[in-house]
Amino acid sequence: MSKLNETDIQGFVLRGYNLPVARYFFLHFEDATRARRLIARLLSHITTGQRWDGAKPQSTVNIAFTHRGLKHLELPDATLLTFPVEFQQGMKHRAGILGDTGVNSPERWESLWREDRVHAWLGINGLTPEALDARSSAILSVLDATGGATILGSQDAAAEVINGKPTTREHFGYTDGFGNPDYLGVERSSQPGQGKLLPDGTWAPLATGELLLGYADEAGEVPVAPVPHLLASNGTFMVYRKLHQNLSTFRAFLDKHGAQYAGGKEKLAAKFIGRWRDGTPIELSADKPDPSITQDSNLSTNFTYGKDREGTRCPMGAHIRRVHPRDAFGFDGRLINRRRITRRGLPYGRFVPEGEPVSDTEERGVIFMALNANLSRQFEFVQQQWIQYGNDARLGNDKDPVLGNHGGHGRFFVQGELSPTNPPYVCSNLPDFVELRGGDYFFLPSVTSLGMIAMGLVDPR
Amino acid sequence: MSNINGKVYAMNAITPMKPWKTWILRVFFFLLGHIKPMQKDLVDLSFIEFARWVVLPRNGFPFLGKGQSQEDLKYDYLLFFSNFNGTWNQYIDAFSAVLSKGLNLVWRWSEKFPGSVPVTLFKEYIARVQFDTDYYYTAYPHATANDVKSAHIVQSSLDCLSQAAEHYNPQQFADAYLRFVLQVQAHLGETGEAPVAG
Amino acid sequence: MPNKSGNVYGLTILSPIIDDEKATPSHDLQIRSYLAKLSTREDSPFALAPGTHLARLVVMDDVIYVGMPACEEHLKSKYLVFESNCDGDLDNYLSGLAASVPEHLDAIWKHCVGYPGAGNRQAFIDYMKACQIETTFFFAAVNDKSLPETLRALQTQTAVADFIATHQGMEPSALQREFTRFVTHLKSLPIPRPGSMGPHRYIKTGGRNE
Repeated sequence: MSKLNETDIQGFVLRGYNLPVARYFFLHFEDATRARRLIARLLSHITTGQRWDGAKPQSTVNIAFTHRGLKHLELPDATLLTFPVEFQQGMKHRAGILGDTGVNSPERWESLWREDRVHAWLGINGLTPEALDARSSAILSVLDATGGATILGSQDAAAEVINGKPTTREHFGYTDGFGNPDYLGVERSSQPGQGKLLPDGTWAPLATGELLLGYADEAGEVPVAPVPHLLASNGTFMVYRKLHQNLSTFRAFLDKHGAQYAGGKEKLAAKFIGRWRDGTPIELSADKPDPSITQDSNLSTNFTYGKDREGTRCPMGAHIRRVHPRDAFGFDGRLINRRRITRRGLPYGRFVPEGEPVSDTEERGVIFMALNANLSRQFEFVQQQWIQYGNDARLGNDKDPVLGNHGGHGRFFVQGELSPTNPPYVCSNLPDFVELRGGDYFFLPSVTSLGMIAMGLVDPR
Repeated sequence: MSNINGKVYAMNAITPMKPWKTWILRVFFFLLGHIKPMQKDLVDLSFIEFARWVVLPRNGFPFLGKGQSQEDLKYDYLLFFSNFNGTWNQYIDAFSAVLSKGLNLVWRWSEKFPGSVPVTLFKEYIARVQFDTDYYYTAYPHATANDVKSAHIVQSSLDCLSQAAEHYNPQQFADAYLRFVLQVQAHLGETGEAPVAG
Repeated sequence: MPNKSGNVYGLTILSPIIDDEKATPSHDLQIRSYLAKLSTREDSPFALAPGTHLARLVVMDDVIYVGMPACEEHLKSKYLVFESNCDGDLDNYLSGLAASVPEHLDAIWKHCVGYPGAGNRQAFIDYMKACQIETTFFFAAVNDKSLPETLRALQTQTAVADFIATHQGMEPSALQREFTRFVTHLKSLPIPRPGSMGPHRYIKTGGRNE
């Protein structure tokens, strides 16, 4: 395959920056000419995928557009119509498909997302809060100078800092940040367990076209993409979802059931997700967390479920088993290679240590962002079929224990064995631990594509 | 008209075949029917409830006289009827990903079949040769093939336990009950509505 | 025997539809219109008659032209396709249909050539067999369980999941008592109606969480 031109691809696509603070601006374009001028001025700010072989930059900037945003930038109608249906509709109109009902339904979203006004996402990441503020000011000046967009709202997010160091923990206490797929040409080296499974049991990177438009994908073709090619190539689609976390409810539930479950509270917490709260995969270490596994990238994602068909180590319905089944469906894992997504994002809201009082109504959660070449085949499929439903995991209508919209009626089975510390256990009446507060689908163009948009040079074909 | 009822989708497809190719297909189906390991992949792709292929020779269309005009056709036809769980895209993606050789052995004898890989052309072909269901009935719309298989496991485990339970003292019963739970613990998903197809 | 897989029968019937220019609407459209209004749930004729797991009715207008270099050709009649996945013996199945839902059968098939009506049982069966096409290859995920067994098992599955969930941690003698009551009650329940969206939750398990 051809070598990737990293200077043409926005850095946000290729790298998890690991910068601990972020601010996301949501823009609205009034006038197409001024908006295009804004994008032209922003071009020099956009962080590309070029590697930082020295130090990290102080801050990064990236931009993405909703379909209505592209329309307001006056891309030709014929071009706009070649974008996938789900992107044209926007995430709000896909609520039925995504299971965004009940507490997740759009009527309950923040007004920013309820109204169909967001045209662009402008993401700034910073090494320090000061760097973040400085870059934000610089960007805001560009916005002022061009009059190219109004700011509908912004969202801050930040990694949890423990002992002065940023971590990858989220509010429920789990260490996140594992399991982003490896793609051909994107990573320098492949981490076992992150790509696709080969028949001999080793792992290989996924086809580039699962992440980036314009490249061959896992189905052995260059998939249908918006036209013209130059607009779409080296771009991708981004899902943005603000997921509120009901921390008080979660802690209470875990305390209650942790006291009843013979394996103890931490093990139960591990059974929900499939990793102990420090990140150790429960498939590799059934009885306790093990930092020697977590800190070794050759081990931390290197496992399969072939020897755990009944779910006695990692439950059939555990979160990571649902969203990355590996070999659990048989066929050497080939049924799942086109269902992978790359996750970015950070937590938001105040962190509260275990034991201190906390309320569900406080603003906290995770800004979930996913990148994929095809929204309906990748993100939407996982959300609909593997999170809000369970047939592929042979669990009928059962939903993901932590992300499912249970409405108080959910059930989660922890498959067990004849062992005093690993018995079968069932959690009933699962509440909604997570609530969707809004979001949308965005198109993250390449640098070339941004230039074309800025100059109004997009022709359909 | 609906192709969908509850969790199951009714697909109908018809493809033309040059008659000299039809006997090759019959041989393949004969083998498939008699060599069980060949069916393993179909069984493992556990989202098909029932599926059938019907070879309809060109003079095989029912002719009852009584004013009906007799058919005069050049091609034999292959009819395909599937009852599967999941969405149309999901179904075809899965087959293309893991059963492409088998699919090719069935459909390569049909005119203009593009091959089951890559998937986009394959889906276009299916869309062209698929025709829609007018009326679709299932006795268990809330259950998939997986749900049904699990249900039978639960029923048979329960029958065993309830038969034996009469003879147990409470402690023996508790032990037997635990073993029963272990047998059924991966088979207790709820049944109900299907996800919205969109 | 290709029409069968285990105990399940793959019935494929193609009935030529009457071609009468003077009929308005045409017979195929009349069939379509009737089918559009017919219930697909508990009141479906296939729920009321015994033995049908899954069945479909399709008005097949024509063969499909896949494009050059294939030749274009057309059927002289339209056909009503009846694809059924049913229990056991063909004659019993067809008799069951004729006995339980003759009005529906007549309303649909009267638009087909040579249909004798469901009133004459043997003529009806002969007619269906005259229109039967042999299924070349038939696959059934579960082929050894009858319809009533399947509906009962689904009901049991829901009940058992509820029981296990609500009796977690119960001490052995109470558990055994509750279990015995549970099994007795479950056995007394009627088999759920075919075509319905799930077993009703009749069961009061009397567990701790009630």
